[in-house]
Amino acid sequence: MIAALRSGVAGGRLSGLLLVALPVALLIWLVLWPVLQAIVGTVYFPGTGFSTASYAYFFTDAYSLRNLWLTLWVTALTSVLRVAVAMPIALYLRFRSGPVAALVQALALFPMFVPSVLVAYAFIRVLGPNGIVDTILVALHLPKLASPYLTPAGPIIGLVWDGLPLTLLLLLSGLGRVSIASVDAARDLGAGSFTLFTRIILPRIQSSIIVTLAFNVLGLFSAFTLPFLLGPASPEMMGPYMQRTFSDNADPLNATTQAVITFAFCAAFGLIYVRAIAKGRKAPA
Amino acid sequence: MAQVRLSGIAKAFGKVTALDAMDLVIEDGELVCLLGPSGSGKSTLLRLIGGFETPSEGTIAIDGVDVTRLPPERRPTAMVFQSHALWSHMTVHGNIAFGLKLRRLPRAEIRERVERVLDLVGLSGYGARLPSQLSGGQQQRVALARSLVIEPKILLLDEPFASLDQHLRERLRDEVRDIQQRLGITAVFVTHGQDEALAISDRIVVLADGRMQQVGRPGEIYAEPKTAFVAGFIGAMNMLDGTLADGEIAAGGLKLPAEGSGPARLAIRPEDIALSEPEEGRMVTVRRMIDFGSHVVVDSTLADGTHLRVQTDKAVRVEAGERVGIRVERWTVFAEGEEPRRYRSDTVRSFRDVRYA
Repeated sequence: MIAALRSGVAGGRLSGLLLVALPVALLIWLVLWPVLQAIVGTVYFPGTGFSTASYAYFFTDAYSLRNLWLTLWVTALTSVLRVAVAMPIALYLRFRSGPVAALVQALALFPMFVPSVLVAYAFIRVLGPNGIVDTILVALHLPKLASPYLTPAGPIIGLVWDGLPLTLLLLLSGLGRVSIASVDAARDLGAGSFTLFTRIILPRIQSSIIVTLAFNVLGLFSAFTLPFLLGPASPEMMGPYMQRTFSDNADPLNATTQAVITFAFCAAFGLIYVRAIAKGRKAPA
Repeated sequence: MAQVRLSGIAKAFGKVTALDAMDLVIEDGELVCLLGPSGSGKSTLLRLIGGFETPSEGTIAIDGVDVTRLPPERRPTAMVFQSHALWSHMTVHGNIAFGLKLRRLPRAEIRERVERVLDLVGLSGYGARLPSQLSGGQQQRVALARSLVIEPKILLLDEPFASLDQHLRERLRDEVRDIQQRLGITAVFVTHGQDEALAISDRIVVLADGRMQQVGRPGEIYAEPKTAFVAGFIGAMNMLDGTLADGEIAAGGLKLPAEGSGPARLAIRPEDIALSEPEEGRMVTVRRMIDFGSHVVVDSTLADGTHLRVQTDKAVRVEAGERVGIRVERWTVFAEGEEPRRYRSDTVRSFRDVRYA
């Protein structure tokens, strides 16, 4: 009997290992191996040995640093804006129901089904020079506004819209841990909306906000389509910069160095994400 | 003084009527239980009093002040929730002090009042713990303390012990009753447990399908149910469909004296049926005996197969399959559109000694 149980447990372990084997193999093949190759390829050169010259170049080159700084700035601002825009919608959807809430949810999730290229061209048609907004302003005999197209604000607006659904879903998942009864209990004791949010809701969804921000940063840091189509040519975000260095400048070493640096930043945020997940699992419901 | 007056209160969610025009006065210092099955509207009524829902019709007044449109935070009420609803990121002290901090009381007074209420609920020294470090019963005590500390005029309890085991539930309900009486606070307690309602209430409001079925003292509700629903819902009851004719009701093989005509329901409490010798009339076949320790319930069938439960002395022993006689001592007849009629047998004789073990 015990032997049969043991063999069952062993069989379960084996099938469990087989189930995770494929994704782990893909992770090694498609992520870890190329990362290792890139790191080694940027610091070790057959015949000449080890050199960190490409990294030294990146961190002393003013243009590269401006690009990195722009990427950090756009990533930070876009992440914060996404959470700031999605939070009120998430709160509304968590604590309200009915047809209006269903409509709000459908509208908020709509960008998830629109490809980034279409978002970019829709943006140009609406906010670009001589776009719909300009046309309306002219028709009303009002002065044209400065278009955010090809300025750092361009990719920020596009990326906020594009990433809103994922941010909303992540926040909604976190808000699911805040029971309606716990909110009612605070209201019952005299808490207004601001106190409710800051004292009851926010502390309970801290880890979800960190996860949301980390997820956003991971996607934004290496974003390509929207920064490429809507952003300025100089300085530029790391995504277009890497692509241009690789194909236009035909400089794979520096492109790979930029990729490794981008990966290092993303890995740091990945670590924050993993720690937030672990903390969330330890926290009592 | 803390009186609650509900006048013509109704609540509809879309096309669904959760509560139908309801009038009720809860007097100062009274503990009233709202009792009913799931979906009867008892929690909706409590949430209306607490301000978490707004009535579709009618008014709610507390101490003569109309609070119908006031939000919860502006009513002199405090609610204890079924799920405890403690804030897990705050300590016990933080949870209890929350309402006092919102009232901007001095720090020393907050500390003193929190200590006092912790003492009241038997949790002195637990202030620094997190809710996750407490048992279910302790968590519910913290929830009670959190509501009591703001000294509400009306304490609302929404099935507060539903998630606790029977033993703990009984202990806590007695504690709540003690605290409520000591503080002289008016309380409204929602439960679907009839034992709980009978044990702690000054009055019980029985609800079904959003309608008030009966309001009365526990003993009164038990002994004199006004509707067939109340009769069947409160306590154990044999409910039999029958027909009134020729001065008697015929139901499930039983015939008992009763006035009127037409269809009716016959209600007999198990303790109102006595076992008798077979020759004394109505016969039942014993299916099984259920020994509750303090008493015995004989699950039996009448000649036509109708189930009948008989509560009797714990010393009585009968066997499954045995045929025994029964005498019905009290019964109530519910006929559509009429007041219930209660009857009592004058011919009750004791069960013979041979049947005692």
